[in-house]
Amino acid sequence: MKRSPLALRVLVLVYVGVLVGLPLGFVFQQALAHGMRALAAALADAQMDHALWLTVKVALVAVPLNVVFGVGASLWIVRHPSHFTRVLDALIDVPLAISPVIVGLVLMLAYAQNGWFGHVLALWGWHVMFSYPGIVLASVFVSLPLVSRQVIPLLREIGDHAEQTAATLGAGPVRIFFTITMRSITWASAYGVSLTLARVIGEYGAVLIVSGNIAFVTQTLTLDIGANFENFNTYQGFIGASLLALASIVVLAMLSAARHRERKRHEHLA
Amino acid sequence: MAALVTNAFGHGLGSFWDAVVAPESLAALRLTLLCAAVGAAVNAVAGLATAWVLVRDRFIGQGILNALIDLPFALPTVVAGVTLYTLYGPLSPLHVNITGTWIGITIAIMFVTLPFTVRSVQPVLESMTFNAEAAAATLGASAPRIFRTITLPTLAPALLTGTGLAFARAIGEYGSVVFISNNLPYRSEVASSYIFSLTTSGQTSAAASVSVALLVIAFALLLLFGALSRRLSRGQR
Repeated sequence: MKRSPLALRVLVLVYVGVLVGLPLGFVFQQALAHGMRALAAALADAQMDHALWLTVKVALVAVPLNVVFGVGASLWIVRHPSHFTRVLDALIDVPLAISPVIVGLVLMLAYAQNGWFGHVLALWGWHVMFSYPGIVLASVFVSLPLVSRQVIPLLREIGDHAEQTAATLGAGPVRIFFTITMRSITWASAYGVSLTLARVIGEYGAVLIVSGNIAFVTQTLTLDIGANFENFNTYQGFIGASLLALASIVVLAMLSAARHRERKRHEHLA
Repeated sequence: MAALVTNAFGHGLGSFWDAVVAPESLAALRLTLLCAAVGAAVNAVAGLATAWVLVRDRFIGQGILNALIDLPFALPTVVAGVTLYTLYGPLSPLHVNITGTWIGITIAIMFVTLPFTVRSVQPVLESMTFNAEAAAATLGASAPRIFRTITLPTLAPALLTGTGLAFARAIGEYGSVVFISNNLPYRSEVASSYIFSLTTSGQTSAAASVSVALLVIAFALLLLFGALSRRLSRGQR
């Protein structure tokens, strides 16, 4: 194989190293800069721990919701095309092209007490803004297409021959899904789920508007980090930031594993 | 979304237009477009080079480089924002302070949009066979000529798609930009941050108006880049 010039390799390594590697290393360096005792005290910070727990609780609900929606919508769009699914297919990527701040504003206009659905929900005693459901809603909205973007092209590529064969042999739709469809889309879904997890844990702009950023109530870990920086509590902020950076390294490992398995599945078929 | 459009035009077309062309809004939109364009352009070139090195080169640490490319997708924007602010801000260990400048904003945008071009060009480069390039080489074409006449045209559609996605993403970027930009109105306030300050100060219909303008720009860019990309890939067949 022809090699690229050494200069190009060095240039790319320097660019990615300075742009991405340096900040990543810097987060951990800052978190460890004051020694282990300070680190332990900062990790026990009550406000941060509450925020971390809230982020976990949001992810536990938002990620499964989006997996079910993502896989369901993909199957619907690919296997049962209609005018409605064509519109859905066109609209499903919209959340990715919208600024998170605008997502927050849209949810506020719809769900605030004087908003479109807000006053109806308030009559039932439900409050979406400045509360846990609002944060889940914002997280679901921003990460909505991430699973289906991975699954839709794959479903189109594999076609439905195997599924139809199973149906003629008398298998029900549930059995077909779990024994045939599910096996082909597992790793593509896993890739989408990892991206969803990263987006849900890391959402800032939309959640900032929808949650109201109330410490110990609606402050997620990303909001806690932002608040610490604005209050010149830089060290505490970097502790939270390094926890999220660790989480993102786990996500990177998940992404890389999913990509590897999907490629092997592809080679196996070919 | 319908609620957004209704709020933007709720007080008539005139008040929508006034909110969009307000001096502070125009300054924010102009700055956003400038930084997004520069960031996406830099990453179009750097992303092409990175994809090239990842596919056509073999060296130790390549796997780590490949994984690092996805980091901006995985790392929360606020973590990127506070880290860039500390690294290149007033207390910088490197003694550079680019907070409140368009350069700082552009660096944040370069960070978050790095994966887009790499990940769209990489698969095309991987599936490219060497036949045409090898044939050109045996006929005596120089390496730059082969790149210009064979490799680049093949990659161009994917490169345009990736750059378009990066551009659209950069236009709405908030978390990574808001700290390093300092949000000085007329000077270093990006559009998403202006919308945020309008929203939190209760001026929701103005916020909705500027949001609609920003969305129209983002979708127009996506459509433009998509159309260019399709046209180029048709031209090859």
